[in-house]
Amino acid sequence: MADHEHDRDHGHAHTAPPNPYLEPRRSAAETQALEARVAKLEQLLIDKGIVSRATLDHIVAVYENDIGPMNGARVVARAWLDADYKQRLLHDATAAIAELGFSGLQGEHMVVVENSAQVHNVVVCTLCSCYPWPVLGLPPAWYKSPPYRSRIVIDPRGVLAEFGLTLGEDVEVRVWDSSAEIRYLVLPERPAGTERLSEAELAALVTRDAMIGVAKISL
Amino acid sequence: MTDRLAKPAVAEMPGIEGLPRKSGELVFHGDWERRAFALAVALCEQGHYDWDEFRAYLIASIAAAGESPAAPNPAAPGYYEHWLASLERTLTAKGLLAP
Repeated sequence: MADHEHDRDHGHAHTAPPNPYLEPRRSAAETQALEARVAKLEQLLIDKGIVSRATLDHIVAVYENDIGPMNGARVVARAWLDADYKQRLLHDATAAIAELGFSGLQGEHMVVVENSAQVHNVVVCTLCSCYPWPVLGLPPAWYKSPPYRSRIVIDPRGVLAEFGLTLGEDVEVRVWDSSAEIRYLVLPERPAGTERLSEAELAALVTRDAMIGVAKISL
Repeated sequence: MTDRLAKPAVAEMPGIEGLPRKSGELVFHGDWERRAFALAVALCEQGHYDWDEFRAYLIASIAAAGESPAAPNPAAPGYYEHWLASLERTLTAKGLLAP
């Protein structure tokens, strides 16, 4: 287990803030009125030549694809391609991640742990649900569940097998306990056969689960 | 230095005004929400206003509804209703809706 001092009361902002707006709130009729209001505004701005529909479509595509787990995926892809960047990432992950323009951490330090043929890393927060959300988005429900938080420590191989990841007996499993101060991100192994892929193509292969350490990356 | 396209100022607003996300992905309940989102971001990226100007309206609109993460109120306006009202206020303040 990684050693750390954990805040007992968890009374500070170290998980993603709960968002009350995830469920729809309006009836079909109310929604229709809102649809009309936006359409009118959009048409006015298009008629004035201030925006184009192509620009608007592009913005939506960028934001739907570019935030959340993709941020972490870009960090991983860059580290696979750029040995100097990887060294900086393993030495000072907070600074190396900021280099790519990802901010939003609230004073926590990022630590990146590298998987290899001999070592497999997996991340948990045993006391609550500390999570590197600027690079991974919001945590999945299972990450916050008491069974994962306790069992991954007691029986990491068994829990990983339930995720479909069976590790050889010769592979050392390291479990990292996130805290208010330190957030871990797993640097997965680059799969074979990806030598010709671009950074964007590599990033598209990287999954959230691999960066938590409950999966490997495959083609 | 960065090839990231999304602006952190937009994607990582820290408080209740932050974009609703599930597993890191944006949550839109209808196409009007998606379009209102795109309008506000596009006009900012084109230099019509600073993101903080829009965000200030958004924070004020949510605050006026009296809602907080600790005290959610499903009967209050949804996130993108605040967003749309804030967009209209910003555009009016900048004279972009004048004929």
